[in-house]
Amino acid sequence: MVQWNSVLTLFFSLLVEAMPFLLLGVLFSSVLLMFVDERRLIAAVPKNALLAALLGSSIGFLFPVCECGNVPVARRLLVQGAPPAMAIGYLLAAPTVNPIVFWATWIAFRDQPELVFLRVGFSLLIAVIVACVFSTQADLRPLLQPAVARAMPATRGQKPKQNRADNPGADLLQSGTFLLGKAGAPLRLDGGGMQAAALVSNPVLAKPLPEKLRLMLDNMMQELRELGGILILGAAIASVLQVAIPREAVLSLGQGQITSILAMMVLAWVVSICSTVDSFFALSFASTFTSGSLLAFLVFGPMIDLKNIALLLSVFKGRAIAYIFILAAQLTFVLTLLVNLYVS
Amino acid sequence: MPSPRSTSALRLLWLDVLATLAWGVLLLRFWLTGRINVLLHPDYVWLAIAAGIALVGLGGVKLMDVMQLTRSRQPLPQVLHINFFPPGWGSALMLAVALFGLQFTPRAFASQVALDRGVTDTLTMTRSQPQSFRANVRTEDKSLVDWVRTLNVYPEPDAYTGQSAKIEGFAIHTAKLPDNYLTLARFVITCCAADTYPVGLPIKLATSRTAYPQDQWFRVEGTMITETVAGMRQLVVQSKSLTKISEPKNPYDS
Repeated sequence: MVQWNSVLTLFFSLLVEAMPFLLLGVLFSSVLLMFVDERRLIAAVPKNALLAALLGSSIGFLFPVCECGNVPVARRLLVQGAPPAMAIGYLLAAPTVNPIVFWATWIAFRDQPELVFLRVGFSLLIAVIVACVFSTQADLRPLLQPAVARAMPATRGQKPKQNRADNPGADLLQSGTFLLGKAGAPLRLDGGGMQAAALVSNPVLAKPLPEKLRLMLDNMMQELRELGGILILGAAIASVLQVAIPREAVLSLGQGQITSILAMMVLAWVVSICSTVDSFFALSFASTFTSGSLLAFLVFGPMIDLKNIALLLSVFKGRAIAYIFILAAQLTFVLTLLVNLYVS
Repeated sequence: MPSPRSTSALRLLWLDVLATLAWGVLLLRFWLTGRINVLLHPDYVWLAIAAGIALVGLGGVKLMDVMQLTRSRQPLPQVLHINFFPPGWGSALMLAVALFGLQFTPRAFASQVALDRGVTDTLTMTRSQPQSFRANVRTEDKSLVDWVRTLNVYPEPDAYTGQSAKIEGFAIHTAKLPDNYLTLARFVITCCAADTYPVGLPIKLATSRTAYPQDQWFRVEGTMITETVAGMRQLVVQSKSLTKISEPKNPYDS
């Protein structure tokens, strides 16, 4: 009975702590979905794969969405002719490298600030490496779902000038140009891309403001119920695990340099908890697991998990998802093992 | 494209609204009843309150929408979803948990959890490391957690022998301590109840500990001594008086 009460208290404590951040994440993602045109951003992407990957990994600061919101955005980016390096960099880093997640992680781990910075640093590093690997594939289409591949621009490389007048969401994306450190002429991919953009680009942008606000609230409700449901499942698993598993078992697993990392990576994959709130989940393991393994959870979970594989399948073929998964998993393992061995 | 108007689609919209409202009310209720202190670090209570207000607001706006939709004969907006749950499951789960939460009273962790998690007078390597501690001149002003932090910095018990102590916490009867000892413990919180961990100090009593039941909160006044108990040389409080106190409003120390 006492144990049951402890499980429930833990459960509600995780939910009550996470709910504000979930709400904030949902709010941002909805606002940006309704008011920002990502075509502006694509126009400013550098040709160099490394720079494109870096840019893609950093735009989470402009589009702070968690790993459920970012797949549709990455898909729109690809279809509108973004370089693969940028789209994949965004896909992997945006759920972690953004201000809301940074704040939530800071609140959860303010006693171990190095974890907060390492989380952002490792996520950026892994995203850039994986994005660069993918950019060596000149034509990404064989790795994409046929529907997405067909919608992509037929040829890349031509970048004729486009007018910028048709853009209602210009303000935020000005920062995209600023991010590059140079205000280059706005360029946009042409050809099939325009047609595709008409098909897949954000149709909401053209609507009047009251309609947009209404759609924004609808979108918030939609994301809230999906992500809230997942959060509840995640919190339930975390609180039952914390109370039910014998302490000795947890400690022997959690104190091993390697086993702890593997255990937390598997957990991150299974639990599929939203990146905005996963630091509170990880916190419940903070006293028993190594710092490296907590970091592995925080870095790997947002990149790829059980839940967003379904979402990723709307963009990539299984083979490509397997590559991303393996690369991200190996890099996370190696980096966090280094933390366990040399830092903490 | 608008979907055909159906009662099931309308029911899903109502479910969303009720789930949102219920969560808003739940967060505000935890705050108004004071039980939020059992769940969260005091610094972050405002976040929960703000989220509660926002959810009630969002639910309220959507409630008016759905009421209007129910009355009118307009086609319903298409319900999109991300394909993780079947339609309605996410909201149903949120609503069910919120309704359960409304009649559930969270209770602060006590001896059972402390024993499960292991009460110590040390902070282990993977525990969060406190960045500051208060160096009080009057040792009787030190709280239980202050004492544990001081011990972590300089663990030699003899350094504290003879100092007077006045600490508060709840009683735990640890099996490895003899019958005339109890452990006085407190939970330390960093963020939320999930990361609380117990710290405690052994108290040497004049009589058997059966007079001092587990989980009861006490204020202990006494003197610090060094003893070897349970095979370990450690700092022990030789109690002069134990006063029953009620559980503090904020049961965790931070």
